[in-house]
Amino acid sequence: MPDEQSTARILMVEDDAVIREATQLSLRRHGYDVVTADDGLEAVEAFDKHHPDAVLLDIMLPGLDGISVCRRIRETSTVPVVMVSARGDAVDVVLGLEAGADDYVTKPFDTQVLVARLRAVLRRATARGADGGYAMPHKPTESFGDLELDREALEVRRGGELVRLTPTELKLLLEFANNPGVVLSRSTLLQRVWDYEWGGDGRLVDVHLQRLRTKIGADRIETVRGFGYKLKA
Amino acid sequence: MGLRGKLGLIFLAVSTLAIVGLGAAVYTQAQSARLDRARSTADERVRAAAALYAEIGGPPQLGAQIDDPALPPELRSAIADGERVTLKTGSQLWAAQLVDGHTISVVYDYENSDESMDALERALLFGGIGTILGVGLVSVVAAGSLSKRIVAVSGTARQIARGELDASAVAAVGEGKDEVASLAKALDTMAASLRGQLDAERRFTADVAHDLRTPVTGLLTAAELLPPGRPSELVRDRAEVLRTLVEDLLQVARFDSGVERADLEQVELGALVSSAMGRLRTQQSISADDLRLDASEGVQVETDPRRVERIIANLVLNGLRHGGRPVEVTVTGRTVEVVDHGPGYPPELITEGPRRFRSGMAERGVGHGLGLTIAAGHAKVLGAELEFGTGPHGGAAARLELPEVPTDD
Repeated sequence: MPDEQSTARILMVEDDAVIREATQLSLRRHGYDVVTADDGLEAVEAFDKHHPDAVLLDIMLPGLDGISVCRRIRETSTVPVVMVSARGDAVDVVLGLEAGADDYVTKPFDTQVLVARLRAVLRRATARGADGGYAMPHKPTESFGDLELDREALEVRRGGELVRLTPTELKLLLEFANNPGVVLSRSTLLQRVWDYEWGGDGRLVDVHLQRLRTKIGADRIETVRGFGYKLKA
Repeated sequence: MGLRGKLGLIFLAVSTLAIVGLGAAVYTQAQSARLDRARSTADERVRAAAALYAEIGGPPQLGAQIDDPALPPELRSAIADGERVTLKTGSQLWAAQLVDGHTISVVYDYENSDESMDALERALLFGGIGTILGVGLVSVVAAGSLSKRIVAVSGTARQIARGELDASAVAAVGEGKDEVASLAKALDTMAASLRGQLDAERRFTADVAHDLRTPVTGLLTAAELLPPGRPSELVRDRAEVLRTLVEDLLQVARFDSGVERADLEQVELGALVSSAMGRLRTQQSISADDLRLDASEGVQVETDPRRVERIIANLVLNGLRHGGRPVEVTVTGRTVEVVDHGPGYPPELITEGPRRFRSGMAERGVGHGLGLTIAAGHAKVLGAELEFGTGPHGGAAARLELPEVPTDD
């Protein structure tokens, strides 16, 4: 059943041969173009060679681990990364997200869940070019303190300097910009930014907000304890 | 009577006996020494009087009498062979000697007590009472410190029974070489061995879950690829059950490692539970008759909604699978009750709470999914009370009470 991302190329990094082969077949059935790598170093090479649209990255890998691979990718690219958590431990997940991953799934995962996550990150990434609900009709540029947001070019400047955001970070910032001064709960953000209908891990929001704050200024987004976060105008 | 009182009484009784015995011996010894002195004085006097009478005759000198008619008869018969003899009769001390067929004798008044004996008596009495009081005091203090140490050990034992396996009896009573210290050491050894067993059980859970994870993921993904049809459906269904089981084991392992943190949010408990039950009905195809909900009286709470949903869902699913329909969910204030119409929870679940892998618990608690163990784990992370009991119809009744102030990260 091909969908709007039918031509998207996924780099899958996984050291278990059965999971690698089965997931590859399964994703192909869902219409994705899949390239694979079975360890960290090979993953970095494959990333440079194939220019994938999204990366599915196992955290536990022989040699260079998934977290280091993710950091390497983030040095040059904002391509969405979905981590596959090997242990599901808090530390693993948080380290992966801090290294720049956009989302994660936990083994043993359901192919449906995996595809839903991939689809969501790809939608965020491709929305940069298309409209994707990002552009608000009224004002092309808005300012929040020293932060300038160009909704048409989808560019963010801080003190005149371009800030490079990943699609997830951008979507998160836009969600706040669409509701300035409004407190957005973790569940709301998980639903609107990550496309979780229900559930989702609150740490996704927390870690991404931490990363966003280091890029756009620590005080721009306030924490409202017990309720969520809001953007200061 | 406590150990302290018993030991105090024993010390007191033993010291009283010792002091009374010692006092009596000292007194008797003093008495007989005094009598010996008096005898030798009387003996000396009668010897001198007898010698004078033998040399110069006439009435006896030195206060001695000749053939005193008051002489006790036993004394008269005792001196027959020419020996000097002293005899104490009642309050008189006699000494006599036979000289040429005449009895020369002296007699003294001899009282059993005099001033020096009275003083000795007083000294023994007051000294004895003082010593007994002193011994009593010291023994109560000593027994007190001993019993305090034993109380400390039993306090530690109770802590261990409550599951605080890090409690140390040696730390509570201090180092030492007595039996209490060795009891404390034994208790600590027992706690350490329990801790070891618990750790082994936890490690086992975690290892099993982690080792199953990769093959089960492969199996699940491969099962998805099977062509449509009943056999494939069966394989996928079983693979799904396996996945749930592995996820549950991993969840239990995460609770064990203590990494779970509540993700707090302000929510209305009634609304949270009704939307959760709505999702559960859809996911599990449960009819409204089988799952009844009264969520009208909830209040605003600060909690982790995902965990509350998981707890209630697990309780409901347990009721549907192992109890009797319908399952009733009632929200009152910050409390959620889940009651079913089955035979109720097993008694050991009600008294001890859910435990993983407990034998004889196949009906409830373990089954597929370790549901109640996980519910209890989430409740602990939330700082909530989760109690298992019996409902009005004899069915299983679980009660989740959320804390006023949630545990903070």
